[in-house]
Amino acid sequence: MFIVDSVQDIQDMARGAVLLGTGGGGDPYVGELFVRAQIKNGRYPKVLSCDEIPDDAFVLSIAGIGAPSVIVEHLVSEKTLHRILARAEAFYGRRVDALISAEIGGANSMFPLALGAISGIPVLDADGVGRAVPHIEMTTFSIYGCKATPGIVMDDSGNVVTIEAVDDRMAEDLCRVVTGAMGAMSFGALYPMTGKQAKSFAVQRTITQTLEIGRAIRTAREESRDIFESLIDYLNSWDNRTARILFDGKITDVTHDTRDGWHFGRVTMTGLQDSTDECVVEIQNEFLVCRLNGKTITIVPDLISILDRESGEPLTGEMLTYGQRVKVLGYSADPMLRRPESLEVLGPRMFGLDEEFQPIETLLATA
Amino acid sequence: MSGSGYRLGIDVGGTNTDAVLMRGREVLATAKSFTTADVRSGVVNAVRMILDKAPEHRASIEAVMIGTTQFVNAFVQRKGLAPVAIFRVSLPKADGVPPLAGWPDDLVEVTGSHIYMVGGGALYTGKDYAPLDEDALRAAAEDARSKGLKAVAISANFAPIRPDIEEKAAAVVQSVMPDARITISSKVGGLGLIDRENAAVINATLAELSEKVIGSLQTAIADLEINAPIYISQNDGTLITTETASAFPILTCSAGPTNSIRGAAFLTGLDEAVVADIGGTTTDIGFLLRGFPRETTAANYIGGVRTNFRMPDVLSIGIGGGSLVRRGEGGWTVGPDSVGFRLAEEGLIFGGETLTASDIAVRAGQAEIGDPAKVAHLPDETVEAALDNLHRQIEDAIDQIKTSNHALPLVLVGGGSILVSRALKGTSEVLRPAHAEVANAVGAAIALVSGRVDKLYDVGAMGREAALEQARKEATDAAIAAGALEGEVEIVEIVELPMTHMKSGSVQIRVRAVGPLAALA
Repeated sequence: MFIVDSVQDIQDMARGAVLLGTGGGGDPYVGELFVRAQIKNGRYPKVLSCDEIPDDAFVLSIAGIGAPSVIVEHLVSEKTLHRILARAEAFYGRRVDALISAEIGGANSMFPLALGAISGIPVLDADGVGRAVPHIEMTTFSIYGCKATPGIVMDDSGNVVTIEAVDDRMAEDLCRVVTGAMGAMSFGALYPMTGKQAKSFAVQRTITQTLEIGRAIRTAREESRDIFESLIDYLNSWDNRTARILFDGKITDVTHDTRDGWHFGRVTMTGLQDSTDECVVEIQNEFLVCRLNGKTITIVPDLISILDRESGEPLTGEMLTYGQRVKVLGYSADPMLRRPESLEVLGPRMFGLDEEFQPIETLLATA
Repeated sequence: MSGSGYRLGIDVGGTNTDAVLMRGREVLATAKSFTTADVRSGVVNAVRMILDKAPEHRASIEAVMIGTTQFVNAFVQRKGLAPVAIFRVSLPKADGVPPLAGWPDDLVEVTGSHIYMVGGGALYTGKDYAPLDEDALRAAAEDARSKGLKAVAISANFAPIRPDIEEKAAAVVQSVMPDARITISSKVGGLGLIDRENAAVINATLAELSEKVIGSLQTAIADLEINAPIYISQNDGTLITTETASAFPILTCSAGPTNSIRGAAFLTGLDEAVVADIGGTTTDIGFLLRGFPRETTAANYIGGVRTNFRMPDVLSIGIGGGSLVRRGEGGWTVGPDSVGFRLAEEGLIFGGETLTASDIAVRAGQAEIGDPAKVAHLPDETVEAALDNLHRQIEDAIDQIKTSNHALPLVLVGGGSILVSRALKGTSEVLRPAHAEVANAVGAAIALVSGRVDKLYDVGAMGREAALEQARKEATDAAIAAGALEGEVEIVEIVELPMTHMKSGSVQIRVRAVGPLAALA
């Protein structure tokens, strides 16, 4: 158990959440400001490890749903957060014992902490994917048998829609349509689960991971140590996880395109000095695949992050522009995401890529 | 790129006020004077020096362009700031992140925390989700009036798409607070409520000061019997009118570094280089890319406050002509603190008692200013050690801004460029173009004006080409309204940001158009 009681901690977490967002997931800044205001007022989010809750505890995900460009206008309403919690407890007929993030990458790392700060309900040190993904059915909750619905979707005006879908693919479609009618932003109470399910189906210790990633970058910067060395050392300290710098160069081209409401894009980078190496990262909301001179070196669900070469600040897809100096980071996904049943839902083919998943370790060994 | 007429470029920096008289691409006369606390007399001194050198051109001056860092300095130093009443039209949305949420505490102490949130606002579709709560707004304005507040910032949800909501709110507030200076957020920022609202509050807190400073600049020019319109440099290096600058001081906040980088490009003809502007207090190192300063892409912080302004990517280090030179535990160091504009009284060469970087440069024979006899007693070892330290600090900063090992030309500008005497690591050559000491004033005198648009367009309904065309037209119209010559306006930047995660056809389009000043054509 730990208490988030400093503004610096929440800033570190937000930085870590952008890195784990692998280019997508939305900017956590809005949620960070909300939690900072709570911390200043002495209301601190409490984070519990999944082992610290009973098996029969009632755990729920509260997530922001919508377009990042709308969230930065509508921000977040404290009243709405209170109301969705009350509505959810009435709907499920029991008190929520703990909150859990649906995805730790991006903005949804912060909303459970925000609600935790104002309600006093603890937040679990875990989430449903350990990165960011574009769909509700792509979480380990869904994959391992804890459905997103029945759940509720609510907006700031007080409109509430209850959703009970036959499967989570359908839940995704229904939530999007409802959110669209609500002005492209809503809050959802989803993935009702027991403490036992959270222990087995969630990716563990990911709030700690956001905090420690952010801290590794910040302290290296403050102490004028090598930021990337500090970051890679930290990421590699996790069991069964591998982190590498995939590329070091400058952005020579960025394309953006929207199809069916999704952000598609491609970032092309070339090496510094006289290098002729070319690195391409394909974007579909998140960074999907990284290719060096045409050869795949990291592919979804393994993580790809692009960071400012000097400050080590992780960048979202929208922030990338021509001429930026960046480093590309590859990081193996949590082992739960690499199992066959996971790859069926969030493997490369689900994003229209015509190749099989191969772990970053294998790809780099043959590169 | 520049008009054919005579024009006067003036840059009011933290330490020096520089002036330059130009005709076309030709620099006719330059002058450098100290910035004064009242701004005005420094400008008068510099311009008098110019007119003394070229008295025959007084009547030919067709435009006066002024770049000033007064406003951003005032904000960073928390000086001359007015307390602000902030009205946000957003309820039932956004109450969890109130205005000033991310502001530093010392700043909130100065601006106060006079926050009023009322009902109203629009969705991205442009549709109201709640009507403007005029009664609540009026009551809030009455409260603000009773506190004696005069500076007002107003923000509303999706104001870039629905500026009328803020305009209506402004009318209500103005009816209750007739003396208030009101800034509405849609005039100073694009999408992103927090960053746009921050810009509006910064602007509001500076509005009183800016009216005073701009007014005194106008009086100064009038007193000099120069009968020409005055323009002020804004962040992207283009010009705005004095009325606009007076109402929107925030538009000028990074004009200083922009002007010196643009001036360096102009004076050298280079398109890509590192530019180091060495002033009295700091050295600002920027990157010239395709003739313009490389801009930052991440959010920008002004005095600790996040805004969505695009700013030149500049690294500042505390090295300048007025930097204190001291012996510490690790040997002799230069900066980061400086005597600033008091160099003329406090530097040894000027008869003062403080050892500054300028004294070292004069003693080393790099420059002839002040009285060299007053520094003749400094030992060689001290001079060498101080120069070692100074060059090393500049080299480190160049290395940081460059981000590639490829050696690039370095252009030295600014009055403090006399401090540099050695070859610098990472540079292919060191250029000191003629008039480098007034490059920022030259940058101010490059007569371009711009127009911008940053909005969501319904590409689904309009089609992409039509939406882009509409955005281009709006930016071009804005440039012409700002004084650009019709028919000569170019689109210099188009950014499309699709709205992700939703099946809507809305795309955020940002366009910037730039053209020559019609008044000089």
